[in-house]
Amino acid sequence: MTSTIYTEQPQPYDLSSFTVLLVEDSSYMSALMCSMLKAFNVGEILTCNDANEAIGVLTITQARKKSRFVTDIDIIVTDWLMPGGSGDELIDWVRAHEDDALRFMPIILISAYTTEKVIAMARDHGANESMVKPLSAKSLASRICTVIDNPRPFIQAPGFFGPDRRRQEMVLAGTNRRVMTSQELKVHNEKL
Amino acid sequence: MKSSDDNDNLDKSVEIYNRINRLKAKLGREKDDRPGHIDEKAIEEADAMIVALCAECPNAIGGYLSELGKLWEEMRDMPESKERENTSRAIFTLAHEIKDIGSMCGYDLTAYFAESLRDYIHETELNMEAQRVIIQAHLDAMQVAFKQGTEEADGPMADELKKVVKIAIDKYS
Repeated sequence: MTSTIYTEQPQPYDLSSFTVLLVEDSSYMSALMCSMLKAFNVGEILTCNDANEAIGVLTITQARKKSRFVTDIDIIVTDWLMPGGSGDELIDWVRAHEDDALRFMPIILISAYTTEKVIAMARDHGANESMVKPLSAKSLASRICTVIDNPRPFIQAPGFFGPDRRRQEMVLAGTNRRVMTSQELKVHNEKL
Repeated sequence: MKSSDDNDNLDKSVEIYNRINRLKAKLGREKDDRPGHIDEKAIEEADAMIVALCAECPNAIGGYLSELGKLWEEMRDMPESKERENTSRAIFTLAHEIKDIGSMCGYDLTAYFAESLRDYIHETELNMEAQRVIIQAHLDAMQVAFKQGTEEADGPMADELKKVVKIAIDKYS
């Protein structure tokens, strides 16, 4: 195996080709996050007030995706608690979609609830990353970079579809460790 | 025909999808495995935007508190009904909003009571009298904290307000 030796630091990411779908019911928070994403030079930001509206936008963009005039959405950033359809409903809809472009879409979940609760909920619904309000520019930038740099494999298991919930490879010892047979485990490696 | 063993395996089966990193490819960095970053200046600029928007925070919180007061006026003597439920939901949403903005802009004590009110409305079902007392205690505490400009969630004033709300909760829940 060969590894590249880099002689210079990487340039900052140029996100001008990215489209982010921002789902946030609070006009105040939505304006704030829009401004932050613009400061990061995100090319296009689509905003929705709740999950139902976001589902409508995603449905339309996916239906038109063959048109060169319509940009695909690259990342969804969604609030959790919204009166007209919550973030977990949106994630469930996306992850259950038959179109691969949608069901594998990176999702960052934002919430004002306590960290542990949000992390567990986000993980079990299939969000790629989660963050807790109050927001900071650094934490938003860090989540976006993580989604770009570390796309975890997706797992389809009974009752779950989403990014691998284990953040790192775990070595399990002992006789109770479950060994999967080839009938039980199927690996899909996408190639260029 | 599938045997019951086959069906068992199907139920337990796990599929792993290793996908091409489309976002990295879109950035033209698909062969660069180093972690990337967002320009420090852009992060500073975004933080400055938070500060600028927080300058509007008192107006926003003041508006929400006044709206909350009006909703509570309507709800206080309303009998159990769909309308009461809807008003209670609207109070929940406003409390959630105040919590978001307050904690973002340093109004920690107002945010603290907003969060407590939000969780209280969301998680408990109490009789009308208990609701009246507990919600009113939260609203009063939020108004005092906001009007006095008490930003810190700790300190003598904060402790006093928290004590008053706790007494109401302990007595009626």
